[in-house]
Amino acid sequence: MPYVTLRLNHLVNRVNHFTFMEPLIIETHNLDFYFKDFKALSQVNLKVPEGSIFGFLGPNGAGKTTTIRILLDLFHGKSGQIRLFGKEYGTHREEILQRVGALIENPSIYKHLTGRQNLEIIRRMVNAPKTRIEEVLKIVRLVDNADKKAKNYSLGMCQRLGLAAALLTDPDLLILDEPTNGLDPSGIIEMRELIIRLNKEHGKTIFLSSHILSEIEKLATDVAIIDQGQILYQGKLEGLHSDGDLMELKIELNQVDKAADVLKGLSYTISEQNGRSLSLPIEAKTEVAKINKALVDADIEVYGLQTSAETLESIFLNITKKLDQ
Amino acid sequence: MNSVLTLKRGISAEIYKFRSTFVFWFIILAPAFIPFINLIVFLRKGDEILERGGTAWGNLMQYSSGPSNFLFPFFVFIVALFVNNIEWSSNTWKLIYAQPLQRLNVYFSKLIVFILMIFFSLMLFGALIIVAGKIVHATNPDLGFGEPIDLVLLFGNTFRTFLATLGFASIQFYIGQRTKNLILPLGIGIAGIISFMILVQGWEYAVYHPYGFHALAASPYTGEHSLLLENLRPITLSLAVCAVVSGIGALDALKKRII
Repeated sequence: MPYVTLRLNHLVNRVNHFTFMEPLIIETHNLDFYFKDFKALSQVNLKVPEGSIFGFLGPNGAGKTTTIRILLDLFHGKSGQIRLFGKEYGTHREEILQRVGALIENPSIYKHLTGRQNLEIIRRMVNAPKTRIEEVLKIVRLVDNADKKAKNYSLGMCQRLGLAAALLTDPDLLILDEPTNGLDPSGIIEMRELIIRLNKEHGKTIFLSSHILSEIEKLATDVAIIDQGQILYQGKLEGLHSDGDLMELKIELNQVDKAADVLKGLSYTISEQNGRSLSLPIEAKTEVAKINKALVDADIEVYGLQTSAETLESIFLNITKKLDQ
Repeated sequence: MNSVLTLKRGISAEIYKFRSTFVFWFIILAPAFIPFINLIVFLRKGDEILERGGTAWGNLMQYSSGPSNFLFPFFVFIVALFVNNIEWSSNTWKLIYAQPLQRLNVYFSKLIVFILMIFFSLMLFGALIIVAGKIVHATNPDLGFGEPIDLVLLFGNTFRTFLATLGFASIQFYIGQRTKNLILPLGIGIAGIISFMILVQGWEYAVYHPYGFHALAASPYTGEHSLLLENLRPITLSLAVCAVVSGIGALDALKKRII
């Protein structure tokens, strides 16, 4: 009997290996979530591979923080919908959270205490050795300010202190919710470098949410785009770009609203529109001539046509707007 | 065994976070208030008070218990408010509930620390009454504070007050967990006390009012020790309310969505 079990496990492992290649750290399965009657998440299937920096991208109110709260068991998901490290919260809550460090939205810090004392509170809860406080302070470069009261910290320092607290258990997975939100440019760069260092040097898988696209573009290896509670894209970051030879066409003209109607009539999606120009994604240069002809035929004066490689921003807008239409 | 150890971790973290806070000083200084006033009263008017009869210690304890029965609930309201408000104002509920501890552990750590604070303050109150008596004795040895004090009666009564307080204390704690509003729990507490004071004048069921157990459990500070073991109904009712409300709070902690 044990031999049969062993063989079965072996087979299951082989199947898993061939199905996913990389082991999955986070896996959600048709995750739905409601706030009373409002459906906040709909059929969310996340697959976060080990060792990745996984960018979780979406506009404000798309369901990012809700997803993160569920991933941390702050909101309870239904049984079978969430697995972290292949385990479920129902039976393995402490075991999972021991391997997860989290930074959720605005910093959670006791302002009346110093940075070091803040870490001591969490250290006591998680039973980490005392020496670990010094280690995490070094990682987030907060040693010099560790004995200042947290109320005197800048937002960037608060975020780094939050990250230090998340690192106390030396977790395998870091879940960071908008870690650069509200930071000044140097704070953003510092946080970005820290995240990359934690991933490359300390081998941590990082799940990172943001509504700032350029941020994700600079950091992530994998992305998921969420809007209105639904996942619109998931995969490698490069996959987003190579999804056809998408380009962005910017047209300067005199009657923008009329032109937008004409283009929508031709099944194009307008990604940006202002008083003098509009932008839209196209798939081939030949479409430029077609669009120009259509506009001229509609008695619209075209002053300029300019194509550029599509940015993540326009891809994102394109994907999310498709849903609106 | 494992859960006892993790509970110890939770409690130790919980106590640590009250360093240099208002609550920390409040639980030390508030119990000193009445003994300090009584110290002045007995230093200046001790002779007059004792002329009316009774022992020095008996009088001092009686002078202390009256005002404390009135003021103590407000002390409990404020402590219940602040042990929870420290998380609301620091935005740290999500931090502590995302740690690798059972949710019940986080909940009970806080509840136990809250109860310990009340207990500590009450015992300190008892001890400070003795200190006040000793100081009066040092300045006026004739008053009678040289007599041995009935410690069993003093701390026995204080302990009765502690137990009879747990009923409404647990209600205040539960409200503090549910809302970040500072006024609402205070309002409910004050309404509880006032409604008891009105109802106790004529309504036979006022004895079941949770905000009155501590007043109903108060027994005289003079007389036999056996009195401490009489009139136990308010105490058992208080403990029952505490068990039920804390149980509801624990279920709530297990299920609630942490924001």
